[in-house]
Amino acid sequence: MTPKYAQPCLRLSMPVSDTRTRPAPQADTLEARVAAAHARLAGAGYGVSVPRAFRQAAPQVANRLGDEAALALAGAASRIAIRTRPRIAAQFLDLSVPMARRLAAPEPFSRWIALLVGLLKPAPDIVEPLLERMEMLHQRLGIAPLEAWVQTGLRLAGSDLVLRRAFFTFELPEAVRLLERHAGEDTFQSLEGELRATHRALWGQSPPIREALPQSKGSAALRASFGAGVIQLPASYGGYRGRERFVYQAALAHIGAHMAYGGKRFQVGQLKPLQIAVVSLIEDARVETLALREMPGLARLWLPFHAVSSEGMATTPSLFGRLARALIDPDFPIRHGWLRKGVEMFRAGEGQIGNPALSRHIGNILGNDLGQTRVQFNARDYVVQPVYRDDNLGLWDLPPDPHEAQQHHHIDIETHDLRRSEETDQPQDRKTERADPNADMPPERVVAAPAASGIGRIVGHLPEYDYLAGIERADWVTVKEYEPGPGDPLFWRKLEDRHGPLLVRIRALVRAAAMGRQKRLKRQAEGERLDLDAAIEASIQLRARRTPDHRVYEGVTTPDRSIAVHLLLDTSHSTNDSVGPAGPSVIALLREATGVLAHAMTQLGDPLAITAFASDGRDDLRLVRVKQFHDDLGPLTGMALSGLRPGYSTRIGAAIRDAGATLATVPAHRRLVLILTDGEPSDIDIRDPDYLVADAKRAVQSLNSTGIDVFCIALGQGAGQRHAEIFSKRGFVQIDRLEALPEKLPALYLRMTR
Amino acid sequence: MTASSILDAYRLETEPKWHQTDDEIAMFSAAYGARLPVMLKGPTGCGKTRFVEHMAWRLKRPLVTVSCHEDMTASDLVGRYLLGPEGTHWQDGPLTLAVRHGAICYLDEIVEARQDTTVIIHALTDDRRILPLEKKGELVRAHPDFQLVISYNPGYQSVLKDLKESTKQRFCALDFDYPAAQVEAEIVASEAAIAQASAETLVRIAQKSRNLRGQGLSEGSSTRMLIHAGRLMAGGLSVSEACKLAMITPMTDDPEIRAALSAAVDACV
Repeated sequence: MTPKYAQPCLRLSMPVSDTRTRPAPQADTLEARVAAAHARLAGAGYGVSVPRAFRQAAPQVANRLGDEAALALAGAASRIAIRTRPRIAAQFLDLSVPMARRLAAPEPFSRWIALLVGLLKPAPDIVEPLLERMEMLHQRLGIAPLEAWVQTGLRLAGSDLVLRRAFFTFELPEAVRLLERHAGEDTFQSLEGELRATHRALWGQSPPIREALPQSKGSAALRASFGAGVIQLPASYGGYRGRERFVYQAALAHIGAHMAYGGKRFQVGQLKPLQIAVVSLIEDARVETLALREMPGLARLWLPFHAVSSEGMATTPSLFGRLARALIDPDFPIRHGWLRKGVEMFRAGEGQIGNPALSRHIGNILGNDLGQTRVQFNARDYVVQPVYRDDNLGLWDLPPDPHEAQQHHHIDIETHDLRRSEETDQPQDRKTERADPNADMPPERVVAAPAASGIGRIVGHLPEYDYLAGIERADWVTVKEYEPGPGDPLFWRKLEDRHGPLLVRIRALVRAAAMGRQKRLKRQAEGERLDLDAAIEASIQLRARRTPDHRVYEGVTTPDRSIAVHLLLDTSHSTNDSVGPAGPSVIALLREATGVLAHAMTQLGDPLAITAFASDGRDDLRLVRVKQFHDDLGPLTGMALSGLRPGYSTRIGAAIRDAGATLATVPAHRRLVLILTDGEPSDIDIRDPDYLVADAKRAVQSLNSTGIDVFCIALGQGAGQRHAEIFSKRGFVQIDRLEALPEKLPALYLRMTR
Repeated sequence: MTASSILDAYRLETEPKWHQTDDEIAMFSAAYGARLPVMLKGPTGCGKTRFVEHMAWRLKRPLVTVSCHEDMTASDLVGRYLLGPEGTHWQDGPLTLAVRHGAICYLDEIVEARQDTTVIIHALTDDRRILPLEKKGELVRAHPDFQLVISYNPGYQSVLKDLKESTKQRFCALDFDYPAAQVEAEIVASEAAIAQASAETLVRIAQKSRNLRGQGLSEGSSTRMLIHAGRLMAGGLSVSEACKLAMITPMTDDPEIRAALSAAVDACV
């Protein structure tokens, strides 16, 4: 089913009106109309709560946004009551008053109503969870991103009702992440690349930087952490709206300082939790002091987070906060003996500031002092302050604790994969559920085929375009690289045996293509030598005292050929079909044709990459890198090529984006993505046939705009129905006689790249 | 016209400043003494051109500089026939000029030129020291003072653009890199006329940007960029403004790398 509920056509049109300027008789009319609507609601059998809520809400909404807005409530409430429950309709009416205040104008208010009403048909079950969280959602998103977020949630869940409910009740972590993204808040994901580069610039190192996993209790990580060479940052820093970038930068700079100036991990020994906390605090200040000597500007990054007052109750958090600040901010007034002692010891130890033992020494004494006062320290609830500092776990050689240690081991080594495997579990269930015999589906969608061996390695994420919502969803498709199946080491020799004459013919063709390009240019304004004919003519003109033509030189065109090609092979399940009753399979022909073409291209010296693609839902774009640009065409390439196995579906847009990204870095005047496919885009998690077509079209357009051409070769008679739409009429060619493919492909290529 | 008067325009009147970091001056002088061709390797903006100018001044030779580009042909170097009112006449190119009259010829970024261009220097760079002018039918024997110097940026190396092995093997080579922080700061301070402390800050920022070499930037900030930034500071801009104008914006269009560089500037100021 195509969710078309948020299309503009469904929006209720509502002229702007203002009750306050209206003459009295019409106000009576409003009252009359409200009363009429009320009577209709009361007579419809929804119980008492709906008409009562309407009676209360309507005048207030009318007062703010006009009569029409108020009267629209009745219709919407009625539909909600029918499709869901009267109780939810009443809830909607109650909510309409604060929402009218928030939205403040008739147009967004009508959009809000349209959003809810539009959901009644495709997803009535989520109206209630949405209403419950509506004020929070609107506060963070505003109306347009709210619509987009709802759309995204619906598409993410597809037809899985349980998943859908989990999304809209925020049980799914993805819901929060997408909310943050739609809200335009900076999260770890959105800042990741920038943070990585910043860390590299500041410290000259590129340790892995990962998003911290939720802790064992399920709550999100609050503080950054490091250990075993891996940096973990919280997925988001709540409560720092608009300053997220600075928190992340500060946290990363702080960890960078630890890594640059820290020593071995401290032994816990006999230390009490309070002492551990104080030693960590001193160590934090020590590395920051050292970092500030090299990069004084970091103070501007760190100090704003040290928002503590120099006065007030001497509780542990307050004293810790003040000490943390006093140690790196010489202007901070010190009004407590314990602080004074700490700062003085720290200053006295300036000579040994490069030695981590200093922190341990000062921390021991200060921790001991504090322990003897009556100040309370609760180790269990202790959270390091200020927010940018890490949890200090990386500083200590902690005793093995069965639960924690296990967890940390995983976090340290395999964060990334863990995060992904959590996500991939779910859709697999979904697939089996949907793989039930379903008559109207093309056979390609429902097969779980035996295909490329092994487990894919996640290499990145790609956006995807949703034509219904008109947005490009960032990081929507997960790209995984797979190893090719076992291949034939003698692939090239066998190819030579089978296609000997063809290869010879193509070699001649290639030579002609490469050689024939140099042309002599006569009558040029500049050139290597004089063009004799032109020079003589010019001399005659000169002697006749006329103005000669100044174009008297000749030159040659540059023989440079500069084209790079990324060849994409569709290895979806349908390529398993054989051509003709007893002919070879499509994929066998694909392999041979690719082999022949690759041969020709190496002779031309054109850089070539070959990638085979298939897909298994949006979280598994399966790529097999047969040949990368820098690889030579050797036995390994032959094995990879012959090791390709058919299976899964065709998510063409994502494959195009990936190929475009690899081409973007290749220095060549012309860059081409060449796709060999035997079918239309399709995938198991997409039912709307237009969706992937629109996405592929968008991918082609976006590549074109960066100067990369996309060309498609559609194989077989059935193919090419929608390819004109995706690649434009000039962007694809259809080959019906597949047996001729090895022969046609190089010729086609030469023609295309002339 | 005497040989010296033709090349007078190419003589350096004032000393181009050079801060010696290694014993490159002695090495170059030795190569010149043996009239061996020299290749200067190093990233952009580390002072290759300035070094050649300094050496030409020091050795009191005229210096003919040619910046090579993609469309440069052999004729652009050796010369061509031109059509005048009295018929055709030969015009020496910059390389022929230097070969005939005894100058140092400096071919800047030689890999940029087309490969057929680089071949014409082969006969000049071995013991023959001759330049055949094929079109004119003349064989120019090199003046005893002539020397060929080329620069070569290994960072540009790619399959498409690299020197032929036969070309590479004819040259002595000097490796250049950005000088040590202390020296670089002195250079920036004196060239841009700013305080040593400000120059040190700039150098620290440059080092951060060089950390990104190969990880988003193909080159870090060069000494030249630092001097530019320093001059802007001498003109009244703040460090951040000068760095943005002279170092960050020219180097990259990638928003993430720009953000990282800005963060590095903020951290160092």
